[in-house]
Amino acid sequence: MFGNTGKIIWADLSAGTAEHRTLPEQYYRNFIGGAGLAAKIFWEYGSFEAQPLAPESLLILMNGPFAGLKLSGCSRSAIAGRSPLTGHWGDSSCGGHFAPELRYSGFDGIVLQGKLEEPGIILIEDDEISVLPVREWWGMGVIETTALIGKKYGKKARSLVIGQAGENLVNYACIMNECHHAFGRAGYGAVMGSKNLKAIIVKSSAQRYFPADSDSLDSLRRELDAKITESVTSQVLHENGTAANLEGGVHIGDVPIKNFTSSFWEEMAEELTGSTLTEKYLTNKAACSFCKIACKRVVEIPEGPFSIPKGPGPEYETIAAFGSMLGSKDLAATCKAGRLCNDLGLDTITAGSTIAWAMEAFEKSALTVLETDGVELNWADMDTVIDVVLPQIAFRSSKLGELLSQGSLRAADMIGRGSSEWLTTAKGLEAPMHDPRGGGHGLALTYSISHRGACHTANPMLFMEMGACYYPEIGFEYELNPMSSEYKAESALLAVQIGAIENSSCFCQFADREIAIPEWVRLFNFAAGYDWTVEDMMSAGLRVFYLQRLLNYRFGIRASDDLVSKRLLDPSTDGAPEGVEIDFDCMKKRFYQLAKLDGTLGIPDRRTLENINLSSEANVVWQ
Amino acid sequence: MEYWKDQHEPITAFLKLFEKAKQDPELSEGLKKVNQLIWFDYTEDGPDCSFHVDCRNGNVLSSQGKPSEEPDLTMSLSADDAHRSWSNKLNPVMAITRRKIRVKGSATGLLKLAPKLKKVAIIYEQALNDLNFSDKILK
Repeated sequence: MFGNTGKIIWADLSAGTAEHRTLPEQYYRNFIGGAGLAAKIFWEYGSFEAQPLAPESLLILMNGPFAGLKLSGCSRSAIAGRSPLTGHWGDSSCGGHFAPELRYSGFDGIVLQGKLEEPGIILIEDDEISVLPVREWWGMGVIETTALIGKKYGKKARSLVIGQAGENLVNYACIMNECHHAFGRAGYGAVMGSKNLKAIIVKSSAQRYFPADSDSLDSLRRELDAKITESVTSQVLHENGTAANLEGGVHIGDVPIKNFTSSFWEEMAEELTGSTLTEKYLTNKAACSFCKIACKRVVEIPEGPFSIPKGPGPEYETIAAFGSMLGSKDLAATCKAGRLCNDLGLDTITAGSTIAWAMEAFEKSALTVLETDGVELNWADMDTVIDVVLPQIAFRSSKLGELLSQGSLRAADMIGRGSSEWLTTAKGLEAPMHDPRGGGHGLALTYSISHRGACHTANPMLFMEMGACYYPEIGFEYELNPMSSEYKAESALLAVQIGAIENSSCFCQFADREIAIPEWVRLFNFAAGYDWTVEDMMSAGLRVFYLQRLLNYRFGIRASDDLVSKRLLDPSTDGAPEGVEIDFDCMKKRFYQLAKLDGTLGIPDRRTLENINLSSEANVVWQ
Repeated sequence: MEYWKDQHEPITAFLKLFEKAKQDPELSEGLKKVNQLIWFDYTEDGPDCSFHVDCRNGNVLSSQGKPSEEPDLTMSLSADDAHRSWSNKLNPVMAITRRKIRVKGSATGLLKLAPKLKKVAIIYEQALNDLNFSDKILK
């Protein structure tokens, strides 16, 4: 096998064992790797009855075929399983430094099942795997744990770590790499916590990567790396990070304000934008392994109420989630909230959104001090958010913490009083910081059809509507108007295929904007030897998209669940999108036709599945 | 060229635009924040078809041709696409993606101007009217 190693680690934590297993080569060709291959592994070996936090639940981490390749954007991996936040299939992507180290150790992925008797870690040193107890680490934050790992196993050791939120089974706990990179969404930190697994550590002794065509790959790699590095997007990201265009986003109505109740706040735009972060707090730029874009921020706030020592700084999503969403324009507060979430191991998008929902509920008296143990939840009160609310969520140490640790959908179910009207979710996952009403109507469609829920990284619809995609080889030549439904279903059908390719090959969506379709095909063929045509590659993407829907079907998801919260569709009352209506039903109906999805069941018919080489899967769902 | 009779017309129009933009407090401040020497290169439509704007050091100075110093940012495109762009009828991200606009140097400063494109288009329309180029206004 090329690129991939064909080997995974299968850890039965109840038995305290971890063994090597090989996967059939056809799995890789059919499902690529990463999120796609994880879906196939779950389909074959997972339990559809097991609750997400039950010991028998599977947690699957997979690399794509390019992990280990010295190319900007490909040092990512995917983690997948049944989400404790949503209850159905999901996955999450993370950059950083873990993916290449795992590949160099000889593995494509790790499957975790069972539960350790006492808190422990998995240590991978080349092909030696140990399961070790670390009772004394339980209760530590991510920062302290990561520092301990560095001290004990050396600076070259790479780790995935959970914080107290994961230990306490908060539904949106995340998994952190080097305190800076997160498997943020859908709560897989809680799944790790439910298995009593504090960390996974990997150390390799050599950089081993065996491609199918080494010379051709090296030449293509150099060409692509230059193209990626020199692109306007990369330069802007390098200079001012992922929040570089926050100011522009505010002016088009893409940046949500006060739980999506407003679409414009000019004063906030300049205060929170990436160039302000650069000017005020940036000390260094940082990058995932081998990435020359270096969009990550290192910040320091030496003084003031939100002072923090030099360390990982916030991404756009964190800045908006703990800034505009909470009615705050205090950039220092977003940095401190981001650092705290990283340390506690909380997904910043769901945490910020759930708190924003709670602030609106408090403002409208649906949530009172009786349910918050006396804590007042007021817009822009960042002291309370940082000192009281986030710790209480991570430790589930109060009524308020317990309520908000559930995520906004369940919290709304718990308090009722019309508070579900203020949700900003799709399939139980809080929407990212891109408002479909201004950012692009197609986002409403792709949030709704995404297998994990409201998600802007499941596919490149956000970039398509922005104008940052051009794929004439597969028919994407549309000049989309973000504030229209025209061609959005057609675009979404291509977007879900490209998104599946990106998330299964585990490529960064910023970096791969520069990769043309024929270059993608060459990359797969030179690295993994798949010997694909453009059609083969796109079919693999569609196959993964369908398989993810089939998984959700078996978890009880139907066409009627492909929705977004009313709040995300109601016409804005201000800003660029003021008064514009999203024709959601029309887009969804057209997408269902184009994607050949059954209008009730939400999955393709038997013939469509058979035609795309999902015959055995078709036999299960179409008995 | 679809909109211009020769290579000088677009430069006259664009310099007029910047002259008027400088008089607008909001745009003038926005331009100063860009803090770069920018060369707008339309030489694919003629050797004299270009101008530059020097937004460094709190000034906004515009002039015909390539700057004598090395520009911080060069934007190369056709004079017709520039006309569409200043008229806010060309999505700049899309134009860059499709290589209609080629960018050399840091475009970070220009991001600060992106939110002001609507206003730029209004002033550009005024500039075209001032020059008796009303027939060129894009509706």
